[in-house]
Amino acid sequence: MDKLLQVSGSPHVHGDDSVKKIMWSVVIALLPALAVSVYYFGLPVLILTLVSIATCMLTEYLIQRFMLKGKVSITDGSAVITGLLLAFNVPSNLPVWILMIGAFVAIAIAKMPFGGLGKNPFNPALVGRVFLLISFPVQMTTWPEAKPIWNLGADVITGPTPLGILKEGVKNGQAVNDLMSEMPSYVDMLLGQMGGSFGEVSAIAILIGAIFLLIRKVITWEIPVSFLLTAFLFSGIFYLVDPTTYVNPCFHLVTGGMMLGACFMATDMVTSPTSRGGMLIFGAGCGLLTIIIRLFGAYPEGVSFSILIMNALVPLINKGFKPKTYAK
Amino acid sequence: MSKLNILTKGFFKENPVLVLVLGTCPTLAVTTSVKNALGMGLATTFVLLMSNAIISLLKNVIPDKVRIPSFIVIIATFVSMIDLLIQGFLPSLASSLGIFIPLIVVNCIVLGRAEAFASKNTVGDSILDGIGMGIGFTIALTIIGSVREILGSGSFLDYKFIQGDGILIFVLAPGAFIVFGFTVALVRYLQSKKKAS
Amino acid sequence: MEYILMIIGAVLVNNIILAQFLGICPFLGVSGKVNTALGMGAAVLFVMTLATLVTSCIQAYVLVPLNITFLQTICFILVIAALVQMVEIMLKKISPSLYQALGIFLPLITTNCAVLGVAILVTQKEFSIIQSTVYAISSALGFILAIVIFAGLREQLELVNVPKGMKGVPIALITAGILAMAFMGFANLV
Repeated sequence: MDKLLQVSGSPHVHGDDSVKKIMWSVVIALLPALAVSVYYFGLPVLILTLVSIATCMLTEYLIQRFMLKGKVSITDGSAVITGLLLAFNVPSNLPVWILMIGAFVAIAIAKMPFGGLGKNPFNPALVGRVFLLISFPVQMTTWPEAKPIWNLGADVITGPTPLGILKEGVKNGQAVNDLMSEMPSYVDMLLGQMGGSFGEVSAIAILIGAIFLLIRKVITWEIPVSFLLTAFLFSGIFYLVDPTTYVNPCFHLVTGGMMLGACFMATDMVTSPTSRGGMLIFGAGCGLLTIIIRLFGAYPEGVSFSILIMNALVPLINKGFKPKTYAK
Repeated sequence: MSKLNILTKGFFKENPVLVLVLGTCPTLAVTTSVKNALGMGLATTFVLLMSNAIISLLKNVIPDKVRIPSFIVIIATFVSMIDLLIQGFLPSLASSLGIFIPLIVVNCIVLGRAEAFASKNTVGDSILDGIGMGIGFTIALTIIGSVREILGSGSFLDYKFIQGDGILIFVLAPGAFIVFGFTVALVRYLQSKKKAS
Repeated sequence: MEYILMIIGAVLVNNIILAQFLGICPFLGVSGKVNTALGMGAAVLFVMTLATLVTSCIQAYVLVPLNITFLQTICFILVIAALVQMVEIMLKKISPSLYQALGIFLPLITTNCAVLGVAILVTQKEFSIIQSTVYAISSALGFILAIVIFAGLREQLELVNVPKGMKGVPIALITAGILAMAFMGFANLV
C-alpha cells in the first residue's frame, strides 16, 4: 500500500521548502510577540516558554522512540511550535506543572495518536490549551497585570482581562461605555499592556510576525483576513443595533487571542483547508463562532474553541471544495 | 467449553466493553466515579443474569418470529424491577445514574447475550454466561471509573487524597471519551502481546 | 423564541452525543462514511420525532391517568420497536427509494438508546407534547450534526497512517473526546 502513489493530506512539500524550513520560519515569526511578553510580564514568560517547548519535545521523543518505535523527528520544529503556541496561550503566573500537563496533552493526545505531524485533525497547542482551561479554570484565568519589566515589583498584582471585565460587567447589567473606563487604552491594547495570556497581548507584535510569514509565503492571507473581517462585521452588527450592551468591533479585534488565533493558530496548514474557497469559509466560521461565544457563551474568550470546532469541519469543507474529477 | 471458561471468558478475553466495544453509552456516561461505575455494573449484571436465565428457560416456548420483541419484554421487566429497587433503597445512586438505569433495556450487551447465548444454551450455562459478562462489564466500568475519579477528582471511592480539585476535564464529557479510547488501545496492545508470546 | 433556544441548546450546548452520551453505538458504528452517517441521521430524526410524539401521548393519556408509570420502560421500548417495524413496512410500500436509503438503519434504531433516552428524558423534564416533539427534533439535529462532523473526520483518518494500536475504535474515541472538548465552548450559550 505504501508503495502506491497516495494523495496525502497537507502539509504538502513543494519547491525548495521543507517542513523544517516552514516550521522554523514560524518560530522566528513568534519572536516579536515573545519579546513583548518578556517586556511586560518578565522572567516567568521565558521559563514557561522553555518548559513548554521542552515538555512537548520530550513527550514526542519518548512516544516516537518507545511506543511507535519509529523514526524520531523532533528536530522538524513542529513540537517547538506547539510548545511555543501553547505557552503563549496561558497566563504568565501559571504553575509550571500545569503547563507541563498541557504540553503533554497537546502531543500525547492531540498529535501522536493520530500518527504525528501532518495527520492530526486538531491543532495540538489549542487542544492542550482548552484541556487546561476546562481542567484548571481558576489557575488558567488568573491574570497578572502587565507592567514594563523595570517596574515589576516583587509582588505581582493580578487583574482581569479586558474581555473578562466586559463579560462580568455586561452580565451584571452595566453599560459598555461605563466599563470602558476600566479598560486599558486602545494604544495599550495594541502594544500589549493588558492582562491576558502572555503571548497574545500585543496585536502589533503578532502582526509583524504574521507579515513576515506572509512575505515568506508560509501562510496565505485568506484565513487571517476572513477570520478578522467576519469577526469585525458580525460584532459590528450587534454594536450598531445596541451599543450599550455590545462593544465596539475594534475592541474585539485587539483583545484576547483574536490576533494570535487568526494569524498563527487558524493558519496551521495541517489543520486548515487546502483550497482558497475552503480557507475563506474556514476563517469566516472561526470569526463567527468566536464572536458568538464571546457575546453569549459562558467563556469570555472563544478563539480557541472556535478554531477547534472549525478544525473538525475541515474534512467536510475540503469535500465541498474538492477539485472536479476529469472525464467523469 | 468448560463451565469455568463460560464464566470467565467475559472477564477479559471477550470483555463486552473493552474488547467487543458494546454498551458504550453507560460506559461513557456513568464512569465519573468508581461508586457509580460499580452501581451500574452490578445493576446490569443482575439484569443479564435474570434475563439470560428466563430466556434460556423459555427458549423452546418462544416462537422464532417474535423472538426479539419477547426478549425485549423480558429484559424490560427486569430493568423496571432493578430501577424501582434502586430508587427505593439507593436514592442517591438512582439520581446519579439517572436515565441510564432504564436505558439498560437498550444496552446491546444484554440483548446480544440473549440472542447469541441464552437462546441456544442450557439454563445453567446461560446463568454462568450472564454472570461472567456482567462481571466483565463491571470490571471495565470500574477501571474507567477509577481512572476518571483519580485524575478528575483526586479521590478513590470518595476518599480524597489531594486538596482541591483534580484535572476537572476527566469527570466531564471529553475525559470520558479520551480515557475510554486509551483503555481500549491498552487492552488491544496487551492482547496482541499475549498472542505473540 | 422558547423553541429556538431549545433547539440551540439541544444541538450545540447539550449535544445528545457529545454531552449526554446517548446514541454512542451508531455514532461509533455508522460513521465511517459521510453519506451513511447522513442516512443514519435522517433515520434517527424520523424515528425519534415520531417515537417521542407517540410516547409522550401515551405518557400523558394512558400511563399517568391509570397511575401505571412504573410500566414506562416496558411500554416505551415496545412502542419504539413496533414503530420501527411499522415505519419499515410502510416505507417499503410507499417510498421504495427512501426505504433503500434508510432501510438498513431502521432495525438498528430499536436498540439506539438515544431514541428511548429522549422519550424518557422528556417525561422527566415534564415537557408538554409539543415541547417534547420540538425537543426530539432538536436532539436528532444535534445527533446529525455530531455524526456528520465525526464521519468527515473519520474519512480523513482513513487516508493517513494511524499507528497500529490506535486504529479504529481508540482513535475514534479520542477524536470524539477532542470534539466534545471543542463543543464545551458553547457552555451556557442559552
